[in-house]
Amino acid sequence: MIEPAHIFILFFALSLLLGLLVALIHSKPLARLLTSSYVVIHVAFTAYCWMHRGETVLDYFTFDTLGLMLQSVLSILSITTVYHGFIYVRNDPPRIYAIYHSALIALIAAMTGAYLANGMTTVWIFVEATTLAVAALIYHDRTAIALEATWKYVFVCSIGIALAYIGILFLGFTVRDVRLLHLSFSSITEIARLANPLYLKIAFVFVLVGYSTKMGLFPMHTVTVDAHTVAPPPISAFISTTLMNVGFLAIFRIYALFSATPILPFMNHVLLLSGFLSILISAGYMLKAKHNKRMLAYSSLENMGIVAIALGMGGIGYYAAILHVILHSFAKAGLFYQMGQSYKVMGTYNLDESGNYMNLYPAGATALLLGLLCITAIPPSGMFISELLMFKAMVANGNYLYMTVAAILLCFVLYAMLTRVLHIVFSQPRTASVRPGEKVNPWQTVSQYILFGLVIVICFTQPGFLRDMIMDIIQNLPK
Amino acid sequence: MTSMLIIVFAITLIYLSVTERFSIYAGLVGLQGLLLFGLSFLQLDRITLATVLFVAIETLLFKVIVVPYLLFTVIRRTGVARVHDKALPSFYSLLFVSLGFLLSIVVSFSMNTTPYNLLFFIVSFFAVYTGLFMIISHRKIFSHLVGFLVIENAVLLLSLAIGSEIPMLINIGILLDIFVSVLILGIFVMRLRQQTDDLTILKDD
Repeated sequence: MIEPAHIFILFFALSLLLGLLVALIHSKPLARLLTSSYVVIHVAFTAYCWMHRGETVLDYFTFDTLGLMLQSVLSILSITTVYHGFIYVRNDPPRIYAIYHSALIALIAAMTGAYLANGMTTVWIFVEATTLAVAALIYHDRTAIALEATWKYVFVCSIGIALAYIGILFLGFTVRDVRLLHLSFSSITEIARLANPLYLKIAFVFVLVGYSTKMGLFPMHTVTVDAHTVAPPPISAFISTTLMNVGFLAIFRIYALFSATPILPFMNHVLLLSGFLSILISAGYMLKAKHNKRMLAYSSLENMGIVAIALGMGGIGYYAAILHVILHSFAKAGLFYQMGQSYKVMGTYNLDESGNYMNLYPAGATALLLGLLCITAIPPSGMFISELLMFKAMVANGNYLYMTVAAILLCFVLYAMLTRVLHIVFSQPRTASVRPGEKVNPWQTVSQYILFGLVIVICFTQPGFLRDMIMDIIQNLPK
Repeated sequence: MTSMLIIVFAITLIYLSVTERFSIYAGLVGLQGLLLFGLSFLQLDRITLATVLFVAIETLLFKVIVVPYLLFTVIRRTGVARVHDKALPSFYSLLFVSLGFLLSIVVSFSMNTTPYNLLFFIVSFFAVYTGLFMIISHRKIFSHLVGFLVIENAVLLLSLAIGSEIPMLINIGILLDIFVSVLILGIFVMRLRQQTDDLTILKDD
């Protein structure tokens, strides 16, 4: 009889084996074959985990609904990311090609481990592992700017992760027995209820600040903005969605853990502060952004701000936060893939050099417009529903001031994104691009239409299974 | 003995925040590693070959030998021996660090912990503060690096306060952390060039 633990070990053993094979054998066809096989294995593993939902394996991992939901998003985006990656790196030397795919396999495996981990220390270890894998991917182009972004990413993430670790150690002080730290989150919940609130507050603040490097939330957001700007577009798509979800998951887990304690109002205030400052900063910088990918990176900061605010509002806000995280993943990934294609066609990321995209590549321009609708939560975007629910939570709590401030800030974001994307699509470039453009096969844009389609469908109907899953995730949070 | 070592650790932090020579930075980071080895050793309940080996690798090998060696290599390669002219003057640094020390005492006392843990808490908080202060107040990347290493040492110090029976997962975490710090130093030594004092290519126009 094959136990879930055996399958779990087999998955990570295969991740290691395939990653090493790709890294050591510098063959492009083999790297393509092994990476594609790995994606199929990941999808199959996700399906297997769903069949064993609720089970704990090897003491440190549990197939819980939130983890599996985010892992499913990871599986879907792995397919599109690997596909777009094949196109992006096809002209690279075999060695760099191999490093790219090996690091990608390592990143997917590390994120899967973080999603399924059932203790803060285990989550932390896998988050640290993601930093190492992402560093290799950001440095892919081997330019001075890539080196700077890699250095900043590794350095700031390491500081953030060290701070998060201090938070986890404080969790150790609250449970009095550090050996409990690796047990399931649910067992720590019981102990946290009796703990000194000051310890819990310190632990929460450290964890929030630490993991904000991964979630891309204020105050450690700068590192993710730089990384998303510089990384190859398929990787930007991946790390501004699935990796941000890892940060969200870590913060959400500890929030859920402490939600039954007297520090709940404190946590909500901290999340609201962090969320509003994130949107404020993103609105300000998006208005002056001249780099197309950087604009999208600030959009990720804005959306994570929305998630933090929704979480801080509580009630229906919890539902909005989870829904927003999922929909943002699909919309933002599609936009980053499209930005990679627009670079190929126009030969630039510079806003002033961009333009006339509708004439140059109509399929891509239409996808970009569709992505714009999705990410700015304009109906028929499903993100309209999640943002509406966030505002509903504010009305329910009587937070009219928060509602007004959020609406004003989101208007700035909307203005910044609309003017820039419409310029790229319809206007003539202000200055000529140095690099000549290339042709893109319209079939390569199909994956983006599928992702945006998923976001749009949610505006009209939320499948019962999705609703049930989100309700299952938030059922233990305060009403 | 434990208290003595922690107090010496705190003194190294004050010295780090006011000194301007990089070679002293590297030496002090090594000294902190040695102090952490002493503290880790004193915290051991059972002395077995495995535990002693683990502590020795974690502290003596990495923090006392590898990290200072890499720091001295950086100094040798870059030929930069002092902090930037525009860094905060030592007097103001001392003022800010003293405030941080006071703050650490106030926060630690408000936590109603045991007198034994109190000293660990004060110095750990102070180390985090000093590390962050070095990163914020200095312009050279080398100083940022030392600030990061100080924060790493604070994490190890705090983990020692939890108790001698640190579970395997915590140990793996700390080892991974040390590995990352060595990797960061590696990037610094191998890739970043001599003139790369300020990384400012990436910015919003």
